[in-house]
Amino acid sequence: MATNPSTYSPSQSSERKQLQQQRRRLFQETDWTRFDGRGFQQCRPAFLKTGAASAASGSAFAAFGATKVIVSVFGPRESKKAMLYSSTGRLNCNVSYTAFSTSIRGQSSDHKEYSSMLHKALEGAIILETFPKTTVDVFALVVESGGGDLPVIITCASLALADAGIMMYDLVSSVSVSCFGRNIVIDPTSEEEACQDGNLMITCMPARNEVTQVTLTGEWSTAKINEAMELCLDACSKLAEIMRSCLKEAASAPS
Amino acid sequence: MVGLSAGEKHFIYGGIAQDLRTDGRQRLHYRPISVEIGVIPQANGSSRVRLGATDVIVSIKAELGRPSSLHPDKGKVAIFIDCSPTAAPMFEGRGGEELSSELSLALQRCLLGGRSGAGAGIDLSSLVIVEGKVCWDLYIDGLVVSSDGNLLDALAAAIKVALCNTGIPKTTVNLGASPNDQPDVDVSDEEFLQFDTSGVPVIVTLTKVGRHYIVDATSEEESQMSSAVSISVNRHGQICGLTKRGGAGLDPSVILDMISVAKHVGEQLMSSLDSEIAAAEASAEDQ
Repeated sequence: MATNPSTYSPSQSSERKQLQQQRRRLFQETDWTRFDGRGFQQCRPAFLKTGAASAASGSAFAAFGATKVIVSVFGPRESKKAMLYSSTGRLNCNVSYTAFSTSIRGQSSDHKEYSSMLHKALEGAIILETFPKTTVDVFALVVESGGGDLPVIITCASLALADAGIMMYDLVSSVSVSCFGRNIVIDPTSEEEACQDGNLMITCMPARNEVTQVTLTGEWSTAKINEAMELCLDACSKLAEIMRSCLKEAASAPS
Repeated sequence: MVGLSAGEKHFIYGGIAQDLRTDGRQRLHYRPISVEIGVIPQANGSSRVRLGATDVIVSIKAELGRPSSLHPDKGKVAIFIDCSPTAAPMFEGRGGEELSSELSLALQRCLLGGRSGAGAGIDLSSLVIVEGKVCWDLYIDGLVVSSDGNLLDALAAAIKVALCNTGIPKTTVNLGASPNDQPDVDVSDEEFLQFDTSGVPVIVTLTKVGRHYIVDATSEEESQMSSAVSISVNRHGQICGLTKRGGAGLDPSVILDMISVAKHVGEQLMSSLDSEIAAAEASAEDQ
């Protein structure tokens, strides 16, 4: 690597690398504050609101720190003609990113799997038998990607489903943690996600104490998984309380 | 799709509850595993793994490429899984696409570790030739020849075997005169470097049928599952990846229980795989 670049380079890869190394050093130590001043086990402030889009049967908006998501739910409506007869309802999920959701334009294309992951997280909670032969469409739009996108999408989608009056066993809430060396950090931002050693995301129905979806990357010991899961489940049940109070507020408000 | 009568379903459930499955196995027993190496001569490494009637082929090709600007000190690994319509009619056309992408995603998660590269089964920094300029791109292509359940475990085992069989050609680098030039890389045809596979994990999928969970489910058993958890375990007993399939929820304590069972089963699978690899290498040398 040239120490004095003679021409201007927009990628600044060496500078970025230095920054990453500096961050990595920080992550190995036990005492440090996060970039936004939170503690290790402190989630970002959650803002939830139902009725974000008027055309949909139900919708919700969620803002967790910089991450902002809108989810609209349409249906239950007639399944496409090509679909075979089904005695249970169908769930169709789609997650998309706006072009301006990340700092570098168009860099959010590596999230194709989010649609199927959202589907898997929700299908266990919805009582599909209540709307046979029909389809419920869940469309999620990430307006701003600020880290921990998928948990926010799932949480917001379950709120939108509740707003649409789709029968569910329980609200679904989701929380992820990042692992840095010895430390476990809850609800990571995208800066933290970019240099994490591992990630654990849990989606659960807190009232039934059931995990509907769990993904884990990186290398973990069993004790650490235990600790991280407990942390996630606790955060999930607290998040579900916020969701519940948001729904109650919307229902009691004079329309 | 597997069509089962009510009687057959009952038979499967009852057998699993009594720890004696339809093919005579116990809940935590794998089907006999058979391994072949070097099945594709034009690849850098290849393997064929059969797990009962499930049959998969994995080929690994190494090509020269450029590291991405975000990670100049790392090579690239791409995993593609193809579900051929020869395995099952439902894979025809776009039918296999969803399963293919689900399998490749799960394998990527288990093999490539966290975003920072920690805990990865394949050490990406060992694939770099000149930092920021030239690296090896490793293409891992899996083909499902015949499918009788538990594809993910079979594919992960096949990738592990194929990596043991992979030789990366030795390279000599002639750096250009100015640091901005693309360096000349000479690839040797004769000398190969063995790939370090000590960190490559195996995947153990625990399928929950009724109140119990089983390993290595056949497609009949899979059709009766409520949910399945795939756990990848490496040689040090660390968990390197976890994915869940199936809609039904699981109690958190069941998941923790599954993890400890998977660690135990993974150790056995790893040692039986190691002896199969040694046997396959010995028979390949004889020929």
